[in-house]
Formats: sequence, structure tokens, C-alpha cells
Amino acid sequence: MWEQLLEDAPRFFGIWNLMFLGQALLNTLLLSYLGAAFGFAIGFSLAIGRHPRLYGIAPIHLLATAYVEVFRRIPFLVKLMCIFFAFQLSGAQVSLFTIALVTVVLSAAAFAAEIARAGIEAVPAPQWDAAEAMNFSRWKVLTQIVAPQSWRVVLPPLFGYAVGFIKSTSIASQIGVMELTYAAKILNTRGFSALLCFGTILIVYFLICWPTKRFGEHLEARLGRRPKI
Amino acid sequence: MNYNLIYSQVAGHIPYLLGGAILTLELAVISFMVGWAIGLTNASILHFGPRPARLAVRGYVTFFINTPLLVQIFFIFFVLPDAGILLSPYAAVAIGMSLNAGAYLTEIQRAGFQSLRREEIDAATAMGFSVPQIVWYVVLPHIAKALYPPLSNQFIIQVMTTSIAAIFAVEELTGRAYNVNSLTFRSLEVFSIVAIIYLVLTLACSLALALLGRWLFRVKARVF
Repeated sequence: MWEQLLEDAPRFFGIWNLMFLGQALLNTLLLSYLGAAFGFAIGFSLAIGRHPRLYGIAPIHLLATAYVEVFRRIPFLVKLMCIFFAFQLSGAQVSLFTIALVTVVLSAAAFAAEIARAGIEAVPAPQWDAAEAMNFSRWKVLTQIVAPQSWRVVLPPLFGYAVGFIKSTSIASQIGVMELTYAAKILNTRGFSALLCFGTILIVYFLICWPTKRFGEHLEARLGRRPKI
Repeated sequence: MNYNLIYSQVAGHIPYLLGGAILTLELAVISFMVGWAIGLTNASILHFGPRPARLAVRGYVTFFINTPLLVQIFFIFFVLPDAGILLSPYAAVAIGMSLNAGAYLTEIQRAGFQSLRREEIDAATAMGFSVPQIVWYVVLPHIAKALYPPLSNQFIIQVMTTSIAAIFAVEELTGRAYNVNSLTFRSLEVFSIVAIIYLVLTLACSLALALLGRWLFRVKARVF
């Protein structure tokens, strides 16, 4: 096993393979970070639309709750297949990358809505009453009372979920999106040893995920230390 | 383009799919239990173990939390045979999921043990409790109450993660969905039904775990 590894390694880390893996890495990064960014934006809007004292209107509130519950309770692979076939049957011509991106965005939105809800609920009730008594508009409550306090609660866990989505994008290899896991499978089929292919991408994934997670923990420690307003 | 959803062809396969749900639960329970044992051992090592052992546990947890489960199982399934260890797909998935769950459960249980305060034990000692009494009446109820919600949450995550087994041709819920799909070609119908089964399954598990927690430890867990 080890002799074969030493024999294969120079050939595996040749310029073409590295470019191939670099391209795949770029796709993984785009898929996870873009997906998480869009998803978090949608999730925040959902949380605001869901809250009865912000913009919550009964039908939107119900729909948003149903969406959040449903998308958090279905495995990523099943969501991916549903969206994949839905696009296929609708006849729309979209790339596999877009399908995977849509899946990441929709899942990220559901998780972010939950985190943002916790953030909004962290604002104590008397402040809501005070704002109402002082005739603040909903927009003013959101931007001047809720947002400045809740971002400290909301921001750190988002990085933990971002790591989750980086890891979930490996499942997108199932529909043939050219990301790290799929690239490793292709290289493995081309005859490179499984240890080299999967070992390498395990390390690459670790090098992406670990700093992201550490940054989240760093933020959590930093924001938690400051006195609450 | 127009496409009509036709569920009648898939409806006959629903019992077959539900059979897969049992395998899904089985895989989730096995990986959760093994992961729990790993987590309990590791959390004890982190509290009482020597430095090299603590570093090893830290390394294990950091590595498994920061890499995708799918690639971990690929590694177990395709690399270990080179070293002479041949595993069935089911075993490879079960081992991968257990190791992965073990890392998360180490973190959860470490935090749970840390939440126990010295003062509680001191107070119990001052009241004349014996050591077994302290463990039974003070330590265990506190830890059970602190750990129950994150542990049940991890179990739900475990149920959803089992879908990855389908990629290795294990015939659990998602794996059977692939089978029905290749029989009927009613892809969207099959996968939407499977999505609903997962939804009902995880909701039922959440509800059961919340009721159990309320009954056993008086934990007020929320399902929604």
C-alpha cells in the first residue's frame, strides 16, 4: 500500500491534476459560500416576516414556519434529488451547478431563519413595549432596536452552519456537479489509488472548514465578552 | 413544458419504502449508540485523561467535525480494502456514521459535564450526602437534564444523515427510493413521497423524544 503510494504520488500531484483539483475546489467554495450567503439573506427575511411584532402577517407566518420546519427535516440528498428532478421536468435548461446552488440556498435559508428567530427572541420584551409606547415604526424597531442587539447572537452560529454546508456540498457529487468529491471519484476511476484521491480531498476539506469554524468560535468569544447593551 | 404528477404508479411501492424507513431507524440507532459510547469515553478522557490522550481526542474530534461524512465513508469503503480490510457497504456506512457521531457527541457531552458546578457537590457534601447519593441525586439528574435536549437533537440529525447510505447502495429509505425510481421512472413523485416520509419520521422521533424527556427527566423540550 505504502510503496504504491510513493510511486503514485509524483504522478498524482502533476500540474494537470492540480489544476483539475483547483477547479473543483473553486466550485466547492463557490457553491458553499455563495449558497450560504444567499440562503442566510433569505433566512433573515423569513425570520423578520415570521415575527408577529415585526412584519408577521398570519398567512406569511404560517407559510414561513412550514417552510422552515420542512426544509430542516429532510436530508440534503433527498432535497437535492427533488430539486434536480423538478428542474428536469419543468424543462428549464439550467446547469447542474445551479441546481446544487438552489438546494444549498433553500436549506441555508431554513436554518438561518431559525437562528435569526432565536436572535430576535433574545431582545427582552420590555424593549418591545417601550418601542411601541414611543410609537416606533416597525422598520425603526428592526433597525434600531432588534438588529444592533441580535447580530451578536446570530452571527457566530452562522459560521458553524456554513461549515455544515461546505460538507453538504460533497453530496452534490451525486448529481455530477464538478466539485471536490466528484473530482476525487474521477481521479480514482482514472487509476490513482483511493488513498491518494480521498485522502487529499479530506485534507483540502479540512483546510477549508477548520478556519471557518475557528473564525466563528473566535467571534463568539469576542462578541460574548463585551457587555450587553 | 407540461408534466403531470402521477402518483398511482408509485403508491403501490409505499410499503416497500416504509420498510426502508425501518432500516433507516436501525442505522440511526446503531450509529447513535456507538457514537454515544465513543463520546462518553472521549469526554471522560478530556476531563481526567493524560495530556497525550487528550490531544489525541481533540485531534479526532476536530478532524471528524471538519470533514464531510460522505468523504469519510468513501475513505473507509475504498481505502481500507487496500490495507486488507474488506467491509460490506452497510458496515462501512455504520462505521463512518458512528465515528462521525462520536466526534459530535464528544463535544456535546464535554460541554454537558462542564455545566456541572463544584458548588452543587460541595452543598451536597455539606448536607451529609454519601458519594453514591451525590452521584445519584445531584450529578446524574443535572447531567441528564443538561444533555437530554442536545442528545435528542443529535439523534434527529443522525436519522437524516442515514440517507447518505443510499450512495453506497444500502437499501434504506433513500436507497429504496432510487430502486423505485429506476422501476417506475416517476422520479419527482418518488422523491417527494420519500421527503414526506422523512418529515413524518423525524417529527415522530422529535415528539417521542420530547415526551420521553418530559417523563424521565422533566426536560421541557420543544418540538417546533
